Amino acid sequence: MIELLRYIVAGLMTGALYAMVAISIVLIFKATEVVSLAHGELLGFGALFFWLFFVALGLPLWLSILVMLACAGLLGAIIQRFAIRPLIGQPLFSAFFMTVAVYLMLDAIFALILKGGAVGWPAFLPVGNIYPGGITISLASLSTFGICLLLFGILMVFFRYTKLGLGMRATAEDHQLSQSAGIDVKWIFVLIWVISAMVAAVAGVSTGNIMGVHFYLPFFIVVKGLAAALFGGLDSIPGALVGGLILGIFESVAAGYLDPIVGGGVKEVAAFVLLLFILIVKPYGLFGLVRIERI
Amino acid sequence: MLPCGTFNETYGQDTAVIRTRLQWGLTIAGLIWLLTVPLYGGDYLLGLINHVSILIIAVLGLQITTGYCGLVSFGHAAFMAVGAYTSAILTLSGLPFWLALPLAGIAAGLIGLIGGAPALRIKGFYLALATLAVHYVIMFLIMHLSITGATAGLHPPPPKIGNFAFSSDKTMFYIIVPLMILMTYFAKNLVRTKLGRAFVAVRDNDLAAKVMGINLYYYKLLAFFVGCFFAGVAGSLLGHWWLVVAPEEFTIVQSLMYIGMIIVGGLGSIAGVFFGVISLRLLDEAVFLAAPSLSAAFPALAMDIAAPLSGVVFGLIIIIFLIFEPRGLAHRWGIFKASYRLYPFTY
Repeated sequence: MIELLRYIVAGLMTGALYAMVAISIVLIFKATEVVSLAHGELLGFGALFFWLFFVALGLPLWLSILVMLACAGLLGAIIQRFAIRPLIGQPLFSAFFMTVAVYLMLDAIFALILKGGAVGWPAFLPVGNIYPGGITISLASLSTFGICLLLFGILMVFFRYTKLGLGMRATAEDHQLSQSAGIDVKWIFVLIWVISAMVAAVAGVSTGNIMGVHFYLPFFIVVKGLAAALFGGLDSIPGALVGGLILGIFESVAAGYLDPIVGGGVKEVAAFVLLLFILIVKPYGLFGLVRIERI
Repeated sequence: MLPCGTFNETYGQDTAVIRTRLQWGLTIAGLIWLLTVPLYGGDYLLGLINHVSILIIAVLGLQITTGYCGLVSFGHAAFMAVGAYTSAILTLSGLPFWLALPLAGIAAGLIGLIGGAPALRIKGFYLALATLAVHYVIMFLIMHLSITGATAGLHPPPPKIGNFAFSSDKTMFYIIVPLMILMTYFAKNLVRTKLGRAFVAVRDNDLAAKVMGINLYYYKLLAFFVGCFFAGVAGSLLGHWWLVVAPEEFTIVQSLMYIGMIIVGGLGSIAGVFFGVISLRLLDEAVFLAAPSLSAAFPALAMDIAAPLSGVVFGLIIIIFLIFEPRGLAHRWGIFKASYRLYPFTY
């Protein structure tokens, strides 16, 4: 029993990471109806920017976080402006494959910068473990969990109470109507990419805290994030949070009980089995808007 | 558009692929040239042609599934792996290659039916993600079953007739290239039959297709079966040419590259497969040739930059094509053909 509890807690902690990635994917999908694979790279580069400013250049923590967010936002804006915007009016699938191409290109650059290895990650968050009731929780994971909830709260407030956030929700609802209501839709598209890239960058830094930054990290994470986003429903931010956490728990429990039987590797494939199951049984996820469409 | 002075007078002429005497001449000359390459070509050239031919067979399958029927498959490399492993296991247990090759195609096709089953419920990128998941599940099984040799892979024997073994690039050339021509012939004619027209109808508007009496479930699954059959044949050839089948030959990046090839070549065109595969494979080759000198010019990079560099170039090419020529090189080729046939007039 304590074993199961241990797996669940570990899963919750990793699930928070997946939830952050899922949130950044959902943000893009809500406003522009594009599913983005490029977010794995935004995440990787976020972590890389932070490493560059904090470790290589030795800036103070608060400044490096700010500069990292600015750089990540800029990268998101560049991707939107030069890769996604020219495809307005094209079938949505081209936009999806465009993000795949962006992913391939950035991934190669990422591997080139890391030289096929990993960067030495600084421990700037509290280190060590706590043991409530016989379960080991590392403080780094716990702070990631906290960051995830904080981020979720900020986004919820942003989308509910600020003018810009409301404008974004209106844009997600209907591009033409919001354009005629005086919302600058093009600008909103750029901004949503900036915000989403920042969320992904925060997720990247948190990932770095827990498992370090390797050259294969981006794809590893983005697929999990996609699975989580699909599970919760591609257009629901709370869904992304719930989906991420459930995916984390599922994966951790499955790996915990099945790994000794099949000899490892369950963790990598569990997310995909869940993804297939969701897609076949409930294609629009737990909280997603169900579009009535016959196939 | 037909060249000036050429008229279709019979139904046979109307449906012919190769229409004029010049086209016949060029086709025959081209085939003769292709099949005599081993007489003077070195191992490098032969290896390149073999690899391109195998890729063409695989990408033809993807073109039928994705380009004609509109079902995006991100798991094509995994279906290739199914073909490669099936044929390796069968030949290692004593079956001749000539029987294992079609069986590998059929096995990949059947697995493709299972992998394509989500197409009954979902479409668009939901389907793309489902096939991505299928890719990982297949590769997980391959890496964890004892029959597939886990991560070490298998070593299939070379094809044999009597005592003669097709074990070199030159001898494999005479299996791979004729098979590539045969599969191209098959694919080109398949898409002109009732089946191919049904695929296009499903791609363009599935609701309308259904109203016209096309059984969507049947045709979508059939598109997966045919596409994966091609993949299985290609995988089997690859295994028996390289004499090794290992999981790392069939990665997700391979699947993405195949999709990139049909985007660059042109979706929904058999000629586009040739344009896409040949141009991207040659580009890849050029990057690998240029990488050492680039490494020397920028010693700060200090690593093997060929693989990442080809990733950068590949991503960039696809971005450029998606923005500036979404219909691919096949469309450009069509424009070029029309313009030289009309010359000196503009229309």
